[in-house]
Amino acid sequence: MIVAGREGGADGVRIVLETEEAMLLSELADQVDSVLLLGGDDDPALGRLFPSAYPEDREAAHDFTRYTRDSLVDGKRQAAQSVRDATATERDAGLVEIELDQAQAWGWLTFLTDLRLILAERVGVTDPDEAEPADDERDDYLRAAYEWAGIVQGSMLEVLDPIGR
Amino acid sequence: MTSTIEQLDADLVTDEAVRPDLPWQTIVWDDPVNLMTYVTYVFRSYFGYPREEAERLMLQVHHEGRAVVASGNREAMERHVHAMHGYGLQATVSKAEP
Repeated sequence: MIVAGREGGADGVRIVLETEEAMLLSELADQVDSVLLLGGDDDPALGRLFPSAYPEDREAAHDFTRYTRDSLVDGKRQAAQSVRDATATERDAGLVEIELDQAQAWGWLTFLTDLRLILAERVGVTDPDEAEPADDERDDYLRAAYEWAGIVQGSMLEVLDPIGR
Repeated sequence: MTSTIEQLDADLVTDEAVRPDLPWQTIVWDDPVNLMTYVTYVFRSYFGYPREEAERLMLQVHHEGRAVVASGNREAMERHVHAMHGYGLQATVSKAEP
């Protein structure tokens, strides 16, 4: 994976992915879209994506959800779908090069956040420094995807907000 | 001795019931997932805070578990919290301490 500035100093970011990385990201984006589309209220991952705005006032929390949930779901699904489509590729197709302007880059940043929130819930991340041995292969895979999504996001931020650490 | 006007002002300040404009707050809570650089970038981009202020607030969230990132009327705070949830940050609306 290479994340760099765009030619001519244009706003945004340029991302080059290996075929396998692009396929993985596309698959994960598709899964995030599915979670957003199908996830029930009992899915704890959705609790991380849509936290209560009023933890101590059920009625106000309910109203807030009623007025905001649809647009939040739409925004998150659009972000996931745009990542899925931008990374769609086939085995042996070679490097996947993606140019994102500032607005598109935000879509990626928010998608990567949502992805990490969901993965964190699935593998039980409560502290980033906690070195917990993974239980099984599935957890290994999800944990690796979680770490990798963080690396992609961190690399993007180094380009988009370069004075930051 | 205080003038009537001053007394009225004092009452308004201490009595929430007659202060419908009493500030509400947007609070962002720490979570173990979001990158510090991401939180800072959100504060800078969305609220327009200078880098120094955005980093101060991010560090406050990180170290103290929460930070008040905006104050104002309730409607505006709900807009902010809506936006923060869009960015994937854990944010809540709360009434400012009188």
